[in-house]
Amino acid sequence: MSLLGPLLLAGVVIFSFWLNIEESDNQKIIVVDDNYPMFQGIEDTKNIDFEVQNISLYKALALLEVSDYTGVLFIPSNILSGHSAQLHFKKTPSVNIQRTIEQKCQQIIEIEKLEDFNISESDYKRIKSPFHLQTLKFDGVNSTESDMLPAMVGWVFGIIIFMAVYLYSVQVMRGVIEEKTNRIVEVIISTVKPTQLLKGKIIGVGAVGLTQFLIWAVLSAAGITIGQSVIMSQVYTTENVLSAQNMTPAVQQQMLEENKLNFSEFSKNDNIFNSIARINFPLMLGLFIFYFIGGYLLYASMMAAVGAGADNDTDTQQFILPITFPLMLAYIVSISMFNNPESDIIVWMSIIPFTSPIIMIMRVAFGIESGDLWQVYLSMALLVATIALMIWASSKIYRIGILMYGKKLTYRDLVKWIKL
Amino acid sequence: MNNIIEVKEVSKWFGDFHALNNVSIEVPEGSIFGLLGPNGAGKTTLIRMITQITSPDSGAIVFNGTSLQSLNIKDIGYLPEERGLYRKMKVGEQALYLTQLKGISKKEARQSLDIWFEKLNMQDWWNKKVISLSKGMQQKLQFVITVAHNPKLLILDEPFSGFDPIHTEEIKQQILALKEAGTSIIFSTHNMSSVEELCENICLINKGETLLKGNINDIKGSFSKSLFKVDFKGSQVAFANALGYQFEIAEIKTKGETSSALIKGFDKISPNMLLKSLVNFVEVVSFNEVLPSMHDIFVDQVTAKNSPADV
Repeated sequence: MSLLGPLLLAGVVIFSFWLNIEESDNQKIIVVDDNYPMFQGIEDTKNIDFEVQNISLYKALALLEVSDYTGVLFIPSNILSGHSAQLHFKKTPSVNIQRTIEQKCQQIIEIEKLEDFNISESDYKRIKSPFHLQTLKFDGVNSTESDMLPAMVGWVFGIIIFMAVYLYSVQVMRGVIEEKTNRIVEVIISTVKPTQLLKGKIIGVGAVGLTQFLIWAVLSAAGITIGQSVIMSQVYTTENVLSAQNMTPAVQQQMLEENKLNFSEFSKNDNIFNSIARINFPLMLGLFIFYFIGGYLLYASMMAAVGAGADNDTDTQQFILPITFPLMLAYIVSISMFNNPESDIIVWMSIIPFTSPIIMIMRVAFGIESGDLWQVYLSMALLVATIALMIWASSKIYRIGILMYGKKLTYRDLVKWIKL
Repeated sequence: MNNIIEVKEVSKWFGDFHALNNVSIEVPEGSIFGLLGPNGAGKTTLIRMITQITSPDSGAIVFNGTSLQSLNIKDIGYLPEERGLYRKMKVGEQALYLTQLKGISKKEARQSLDIWFEKLNMQDWWNKKVISLSKGMQQKLQFVITVAHNPKLLILDEPFSGFDPIHTEEIKQQILALKEAGTSIIFSTHNMSSVEELCENICLINKGETLLKGNINDIKGSFSKSLFKVDFKGSQVAFANALGYQFEIAEIKTKGETSSALIKGFDKISPNMLLKSLVNFVEVVSFNEVLPSMHDIFVDQVTAKNSPADV
């Protein structure tokens, strides 16, 4: 599994990547133009051939049925006021194809209207201004550009922690249940103290988890990189990229010029490598390892207590849900965090130990003000304190629960065992 | 003789439940000690205190002259009644791991395990997975794991459950051999015939309290009902006349020339008195006192204790 996992993961990523760039079959479309020859100038693209015909929709549809045409684009006579056309098809075309057809129609209509309003094409292009809102984070001294890339990296880190904490803490619970239902635990705790066994199990599974995880990370990254570069080299030649945008060479040229004009001052910032460089990797990795281990210890100790109290997997359901609820909540909140990364609820969740391992690392990745750094320290201190408390409570539950059989565990038992 | 373990007035409560009440046992070194009692009597609780899984609320446990402490773990081998193994691990790996847990080196563990695997014909199991062994085979492996670190004290809780008669005999012989080699053994079971066969001393506990303890023959003697079985040749009338007023015939059967009688004495009398009164009138072929079996004593004692109104 250690080796198969990353291969599967890389496979899924590459497959979905490939699926995205893989276009549906070439389209051959009859354009039925009620305003013939208004659409005579519609441009073919790499995989769409338009054939403008001055025939009725009825005839075109009859032709579609018997021929190898893939669709009929019907342009009604009120196209200039109605802004709506119909595409009749035999096999659903991809969303990309539909969007391209939309764009092509829009171009034609725009050109028609420019003539109606007596505006030259060059004037129109000057009016139509591409617009960019640059967002800058001001930390009291400097403004730095904030973009989504560091946030994405933080989110990925958060999700990795979420998955690892969940998977490996459940594995601890299953291990405890296995030893208990197997009855081997009685032999082992006649040799080592129950708390030693518990700590050994948590550390052992944690070490296995971390190792497995590193193997996964390295192999997946390698697999994805190799897979991507193979696909990229085939698909993303410059020519393909530009023609995939459905732009005529003239438009492309013009876009390049406009970009040079308008964004030249940003271009040094607008570079993915600069974005990556802005991520404080030593800090992020340090926090990642801290919260990875911290989150795991916290949840594993709780899961171990549940495993010790239960006789089988089914008994654990009522406890797993409340325990993993904060984890799920953190996951859901982490998605909504892109909209509002500094809301009160997120600040709270980044401090509360049950959600902080996932939320705090994301907050730091989004960029945290130096004045708020105390929140990071508080969150770390609280996490450590809570882990100590949980390990203490769970070893109390564990040493009693592990020798109890045939009794359905209740919350009252847990409290009683902690007090003993 | 030295006692390997002395449990002194030990008590244990689980919440309101009094699991053990002032229980004391002494296990002489190099002997087999039977720890008896019905289910829920407190045997496992007592064993768990000797194996230091739990600790007594009051009282003391002395191992080989000094207070029981964690370093005694390596001197004790424990085979619990409810036992299991890691099912997906290999036999050899698991045996090595569990033996090493007792604090001995891998090399020593391997040497000892090799000897035991050979003794019990298990050599070709080493690389098998536990899950592929039958229940009896797993029991045998568990026995080997329990004894492989050469403990001074062996605690066996129902060691024969799950074994067929052949394996039972095999393990029984190993237990006796260990005893001969000087190992002290606490043997907990419901199987009274094996108790009579193996144990020198016993302790019977019920509901956390000691009912009986001591040497097994002394205990049986103390429960003697003055029953004698006499086989004789001669007249049954003469036999009946020869018995004094202290005796009565409980049962008499004839088989060819020989008669067999079961005689009950009314007082505590010596077998010699009975013999003396008989030898002049009939020819005594065999004579022996009929002692109650441990099974009867167990059932009588526990039933009497559990329903005092019936006594």
